[in-house]
Amino acid sequence: MTSEEIIEKVKADQGEAIDSSEVNLGDAVIFIGKESIHEIAEYLKKDPCLDFDYLSQITGADYLNEDREPRFEVVYELHSMEKNHSIRIRVGLDEEDPTIPTVSDLWKGALYPERELFDMFGFNVEGHPNLSRLIMPEEWEGNPLRKDYPLTIEDVTFTHNREFKQDLVKSKPPTR
Amino acid sequence: MTVTEQGLLEREKDSMTLNMGPQHPSTHGVFRVVLEMDGELVDSAEPHIGFLHTGIEKTSEAKRYVHVIPMTDRLDYLSPPGNNLAFCLTVEKLLQTNVPERANYLRVIMCELARMASHLVWLATHALDIGAMTVFLYCWREREMILDLNEEISGVRMMTSYIRLGGVAQDSTPGWLQSVRKFIEYFPAKIDEYERLLTRNPIWMDRTQNIGVMSREEAINWSMSGPVLRASGVNWDLRKQRPYSGYENFEFEVPTGKNGDIYDRYLVRVAELRQSREIVKQALKKLPEGPYKVDDNKISLPNRKTLKSSMEALIHHFKLVSEGVSVPKGETYVPVEGPRGEVGFYIVSDGSNVPSRVKLRAPSFMAIPGMCKMMEGCFIADVVGIIGSIDIVMGEVDR
Repeated sequence: MTSEEIIEKVKADQGEAIDSSEVNLGDAVIFIGKESIHEIAEYLKKDPCLDFDYLSQITGADYLNEDREPRFEVVYELHSMEKNHSIRIRVGLDEEDPTIPTVSDLWKGALYPERELFDMFGFNVEGHPNLSRLIMPEEWEGNPLRKDYPLTIEDVTFTHNREFKQDLVKSKPPTR
Repeated sequence: MTVTEQGLLEREKDSMTLNMGPQHPSTHGVFRVVLEMDGELVDSAEPHIGFLHTGIEKTSEAKRYVHVIPMTDRLDYLSPPGNNLAFCLTVEKLLQTNVPERANYLRVIMCELARMASHLVWLATHALDIGAMTVFLYCWREREMILDLNEEISGVRMMTSYIRLGGVAQDSTPGWLQSVRKFIEYFPAKIDEYERLLTRNPIWMDRTQNIGVMSREEAINWSMSGPVLRASGVNWDLRKQRPYSGYENFEFEVPTGKNGDIYDRYLVRVAELRQSREIVKQALKKLPEGPYKVDDNKISLPNRKTLKSSMEALIHHFKLVSEGVSVPKGETYVPVEGPRGEVGFYIVSDGSNVPSRVKLRAPSFMAIPGMCKMMEGCFIADVVGIIGSIDIVMGEVDR
């Protein structure tokens, strides 16, 4: 199916659950709320015409510098091995409550990327069997891929500058 | 030991926790796995990653687009051109530029040479893990020749950074093309040599057949990709399914396996060595004349010779070096077929000259949970075989 056909089909079947949709540079993209992600994912996987049996990746994005609501986004990239087409799902997440249901019961491949979301962005993935730090050490504080996490900061090694350094950690970083 | 009602001795289950890595030579880097053992059998395997975390994704958010390219080399360090290509294609998709035909051909030649080099390293180390020393030395010999070719065209043996935005770093020379031609004429006999050592070797077959089996459905569900997926019988190669960089112009086969065990993965990768050689051969034959990078000075540097005579070229040169490429606002994802599977970049651009988010879809990272699933129920001696057959590169796992 072409991207336009996929969008049409998904809209016809799940119209009310989808906030908006577009064909972006040739790729089918749908925007949905976090409460309907599991339902939509299940539909996309099980529908015989769409048949999205392969989860390519899950990634997070932080739009802090762009002043838009909601601040975070989780992006799912799905392929169909038989039909050879793809779709991208974008789910917005609030800053106050970045919680999203797991899809690892549908695709086992989601286990690691979801743990990475928890580790790097601090999203709470509900229903994940083992939600713990993956890449950063267990005792690490903060979520490195958030935009308000500074790119480089020296470790606090002296007592005389500790307060200054702590303020620096908390403030928005000059990333560029 | 307890005595059962029938008077037989029964062993009580007592499991032992065994730590493997991160300095174990067969883990190909710094991969640590904690094995829960029941005698000689693995009950469960718990992977620990992150020892090679260098924060490349975070660093990319503070670098200009051109400066990210050398960092992508360090992700999958056995096949840098594949990562360069994935990154450049994604940015070029956002910029909506098409690169010239000759650049596409040079990109394909470099990517296929890198695939061969990467598969040679895999075969060398995988065979060494299982105990075949000779193959290691033979494969290293041929890989060295590919690294020499890399050096000749890009000046660097491994981290080539040869593929750039809008084309490639520099044009190929007739001498280099002749060297590549010589290499691909020489190479098939060497593949036969490796196969003579391994394919019908009873020790090799005993150690690899019906071990680490992954069925077709499992392989898809666990998001395996590349040769592992194809060895399980899924005909999925992005070069065929979603042709990019002109792969539709080449005739080649996609080898697939049936059983999804270590032996099938070996056969698939060896067949891919031959197919890559076939693609390079066709690319050399059809290599068109013309520019090797786009004629758009907003994306690629103007010709060096024009700098002294053309004011405009000088301005473009200055702007491009001091400011870099500004990419239109938007986000996109482009997957390419690397030696380990689907390599893709998801890039979010906020319209400036610095990416707002760069995410690598790394095939090795996605394969680790599936790999540990394979280890369950196998003998401890087969664990190294399974790790070798997935061909993980920790650079792209930990990023």
